[in-house]
Amino acid sequence: MINRKRFLSVVIALLVFLAVIPSFAQGVTEVKVWIAFTDYRLDWARERATEFNALYPQYNVVIEGYDNYEVLFSATNLAFEQGTNPAIVQYFEAATQDARDANFDGVPHFKPISEAFGDRTEINGLAVDLNNFVEPVANYYTLDGSFTSMPWNTSSAIMFSNQAIFDAAGIEIPTTWEEVEAACAVIMALESAPANCITWPNHGWFFEQALAQQGADFVNNGNGREARATETFIASDAAVSYVNWWKNLQDMGYYVYTGVQRDWGGTYNTFIAQDVAMLVYSSSDTTALTNDGADAGFTVTASYMPYNQETGYVGNLIGGASLWLANGLATEVEDGALTFLLFFTNAQNDASWHQVTGYVPVTNAGLELLQAEGWYDESPNSLVASEQLANSEQTSATTGAIVGAFPQIRNFVTQAIENILVNGADISEALTEAQTLSNEALSEYNLLND
Amino acid sequence: MTHFSHEIIQDSSDMNRVMTSDTTKSLIRRLIPQRWYAHVVLWIACFFIGFPLFYAMLVSTQNNAQTINFQVIPGESLERNWQSVMVDRNLGRYMVNSVILAVIVTVGKTVLSLLSGLAFVYFRFPGKWVVFGFVLITVMMPTELLIIALFRFVSIQLDWGGTFQALALPFMASATGTFLFRQHFANIPSELSEASQMDGANPLQFLFRVLIPISWNTIGALAVIQFVYVWNMYLWPLLIAPGGADNQVVQVGLRSLLSVDTSISYGPLMLGAVIASLPPVIVFILLQKQFMSGFAITRDK
Amino acid sequence: MISTESTNIIITLIPAIIGAIYFIALFMRLNRSPIIGAIIGAGAGGIGAMVFMVPLGYCTFEPERKPIDAYFGIFLITIGVFVMLGIARSASNFLFAGRSGSLIAHQSSAGTFKGWLMPWLLLSPTLIILALFLYYPAMDTFRLSTLLARLGTSRTIFVCVDNFTRLLQPENFTLQTVLFFIIAIQLFIASQNTLKDKDSVWAQFFRLSLILSNLFFFFFVVLALLLNSSYYRVVITTFSLSTAIVIFSLIISLGIAYMAYQPIRGGNIYRTLLIWPYAISPPVAGIIFFIIFNNTGGVANHIIRFLGGDGFDWKDTTMAPLTIILASVWKALGFSILFYIAGLQNVPKDLLEAAAIDGANVWQRFVRITIPMLSPITFFLIITNISYAFFDIFGTIDFLTGGSGGTNVMIYEIYNLGIRNNDLGKSAAQSLVLFMLVVGITYLQFRTTGRRVSYGA
Repeated sequence: MINRKRFLSVVIALLVFLAVIPSFAQGVTEVKVWIAFTDYRLDWARERATEFNALYPQYNVVIEGYDNYEVLFSATNLAFEQGTNPAIVQYFEAATQDARDANFDGVPHFKPISEAFGDRTEINGLAVDLNNFVEPVANYYTLDGSFTSMPWNTSSAIMFSNQAIFDAAGIEIPTTWEEVEAACAVIMALESAPANCITWPNHGWFFEQALAQQGADFVNNGNGREARATETFIASDAAVSYVNWWKNLQDMGYYVYTGVQRDWGGTYNTFIAQDVAMLVYSSSDTTALTNDGADAGFTVTASYMPYNQETGYVGNLIGGASLWLANGLATEVEDGALTFLLFFTNAQNDASWHQVTGYVPVTNAGLELLQAEGWYDESPNSLVASEQLANSEQTSATTGAIVGAFPQIRNFVTQAIENILVNGADISEALTEAQTLSNEALSEYNLLND
Repeated sequence: MTHFSHEIIQDSSDMNRVMTSDTTKSLIRRLIPQRWYAHVVLWIACFFIGFPLFYAMLVSTQNNAQTINFQVIPGESLERNWQSVMVDRNLGRYMVNSVILAVIVTVGKTVLSLLSGLAFVYFRFPGKWVVFGFVLITVMMPTELLIIALFRFVSIQLDWGGTFQALALPFMASATGTFLFRQHFANIPSELSEASQMDGANPLQFLFRVLIPISWNTIGALAVIQFVYVWNMYLWPLLIAPGGADNQVVQVGLRSLLSVDTSISYGPLMLGAVIASLPPVIVFILLQKQFMSGFAITRDK
Repeated sequence: MISTESTNIIITLIPAIIGAIYFIALFMRLNRSPIIGAIIGAGAGGIGAMVFMVPLGYCTFEPERKPIDAYFGIFLITIGVFVMLGIARSASNFLFAGRSGSLIAHQSSAGTFKGWLMPWLLLSPTLIILALFLYYPAMDTFRLSTLLARLGTSRTIFVCVDNFTRLLQPENFTLQTVLFFIIAIQLFIASQNTLKDKDSVWAQFFRLSLILSNLFFFFFVVLALLLNSSYYRVVITTFSLSTAIVIFSLIISLGIAYMAYQPIRGGNIYRTLLIWPYAISPPVAGIIFFIIFNNTGGVANHIIRFLGGDGFDWKDTTMAPLTIILASVWKALGFSILFYIAGLQNVPKDLLEAAAIDGANVWQRFVRITIPMLSPITFFLIITNISYAFFDIFGTIDFLTGGSGGTNVMIYEIYNLGIRNNDLGKSAAQSLVLFMLVVGITYLQFRTTGRRVSYGA
């Protein structure tokens, strides 16, 4: 005899089971993220993704790493044309205009995040606050009045000095161009003088920093922010004085050129090997530099990038990259992407990213968290970049240029500088040639993108 | 030992003359090998040729400080470097990818070349020489030249970006392979194929039962060349497969070793380079006899 | 330039007429009907002119264009006509005079299988893949080179031959054209006058003066252009690196092979130890030499200082190319050594012994007998090494110098332009220039050395 109660309970259990299964069988939304790191920074990002996936099981964030920004840029373009694009792509700051223009048959690749957020104040429990960003960062990535991409890794150009050498020479760390020359004169006269005095990578970014410090725009139309840029100012007076100072340093044996363009690795090693006393570098490697210096037996002191005393100090630029949201995503995917973006840049992660790498905290909340934890007391070097940015006057020059074909233009600049440093080309001529080539490339770019 | 006795027998006429004069001189002559100057030159040459790899292996066991200080004894960082390379940077996975790719392309290319060689030598058909020219001209068109257009074609129109077939398919056909087999088959007496036809074999059976068994040297030669070539491909995988993706090949994977922690890390970089070189070198050394004979046949005749 | 329609027709007719005249002469020599010759010649000439102009839409001769575009158009037509006439001539030789070229070996019909479907089936995979992955991208490269195209936007603009003329630096155009024509004519004459049975003193003198004046003009061109254009710098870098690699490779490998081919103890072991770098990939060679020649941590400077020297800056414009050459030669040696050993072993010993009896010493025997006997192998190795230096060197450069320090060669610049600078049109144009260069070099090789290659007594 079948117990009716038992029969009913079994049926009910089955029904409950059937009701629950569909929600389990509901697909997990995949959110693809492409970034341009393949080292410990990729590892950090993947750890965050794992945490996120545990917190939000309905999403599965997958992070793929690429060798560098250029390769990522090409891969992204192709992916969009094929329709297999990711949800989030990391574009470096110089590719901002390219990202804005990027389209396939008129359909833009990316959607501004402020548009994607809309009026929502919270997504999946996370608060939306686009005012939380540090001012220079917010200014850079605000285009046409709205936030286009989510800032992530941001750095500035600062100087690292070998404190041991400076102590031996008994001088202060220089802050202006003049002071650098004077300091080098003293240092090179030491008995235990290093092979050279100062170095930095031949990368367009430092050139742009020097222009910004002197308050000079890199391109026209309000540095490309008021309207589409059509001309570059590579041969401007500010540029010429910078390169003059640079070449002078080399002629006096103070600056050493490692011989390769964009040589982040070589210049880094030269400093750690104590072959130079000063290194102008990206603040993104502050932690690593400090630690490697300590391992090699000397203290590394970070300070502001030296500026032109004749023009005075206006401000420095940010560098780095931001995360762009793809256009045309399905709603769940877009929501997942937005949630991940908020999670990725929350206070803890912002602080942690800074501590592991040296990129500046982009949110005020992250900055406060670090200060509350006493991080900056332990690592004073890490504060320098943030302070330098905070001290920068916000003008069109220091906000940063927005221009198409920027990577190509940077290549023209570094090529011209190499010509000057290695082949002894005339500074004005070389820079003018770079300017002509850049303007040509820019006009071609504008022809295709207007 | 056999070499030594061989030289003694060769020298016997000399020995007879010498025996009558000075026994110590003959002793010396026996101990110093003939053409000692050749040995000296060869030793020097082998040293210079081998030095880069020995140095690479040495650095693989050291950490940065030891490398910069030119320590000549191996360090103890092999474990740590191995960890960074194979586990953190996933080079093990890339090695597997490269092996699979190289084997598949080698086999595919060999098969296709065998079929084409068979067609060119054992058939007459209208338009044969036009087709021959069609294949011949591709020798002038290395993929590196067409790399940009090929890239766009494969990624956009075929939609194969980052896939395995994108890495393998463009290289499955080979003009050099076709010509190699054509040359080889053309040197085989036609009686073999006549006999086969009389036995009622169709072309494919002829290929499998008669031609292939006598072509192992050429097949081996082609296999070695292709395996090494595919394994060492760099520009194409660089373009078509993303950097950190799972189906990346080892040559491009080496790029990510340029900076493991922060600055350049010599140890892992060299270790990766050494590991990435082992398979092709081993294959080449094992099959060098075939490689030589495969080419010698076309040289001599 | 008046009306475009009529100019286009005239432009096509002139080569047709030239082709017709050439073929009339050719056919009269062959004792064949000159009318058929005229038709074939006109057809070949006309098609040759149209093969480039039709896809371009005769855009190089449009009134708005600069003269340099017109000259480039003429250049393209010349190439087209040259190639078509050559093909037509070989075809007519084959069909009408029964002479077949050396490439097409005569085959008896013995041993062939019946049927025509089977061979097509056998060939189809190869043909499909070649057509799809080689010929189609080749066509596309032509198409891309006439466009203004960038990665990231699908819009393109047709710019005719601007991508090419830009490479030629229009400012110095007249000077360049004159010099190039002089060099081209001289090279052409030199390639025609190869081996004559009676090499009179005058003929040798003439040839020598041609070579010297070529070198002089080339030097002059190099000076004038090196100062002006970045593309010429790239071309010259390519040439100098390639020449150095080929010369060093061949000389060193011949020397080593000469020591290793004789029956000595452990000959096989030596051989293995010498040739294994062939299996190393160019990127790995770049990596290893990058570390060895590193300015700060490299062992090369360490050894030099140990021996009392000062250490070099391996990244400056004299040293960086040297490191690339060293890395490439190191890698390419093995292949050449292997072939030279085989070749040396095939030199007939009786020839050498006969010469020895005649009183020739080792050096004379080497130069007069061994080297000529090795000429087919040398020829083969030159082509292989040139191909290596032009293309495979990419991986080495990418890891060793990143293109800086005077090591930017054509293949690297193509990659740079296309992928780093996102400029697809110019990259495609440069690919085509490189392609023409390779074809031209191979053609010259075949014409000048190919005939002198002695295949044995």
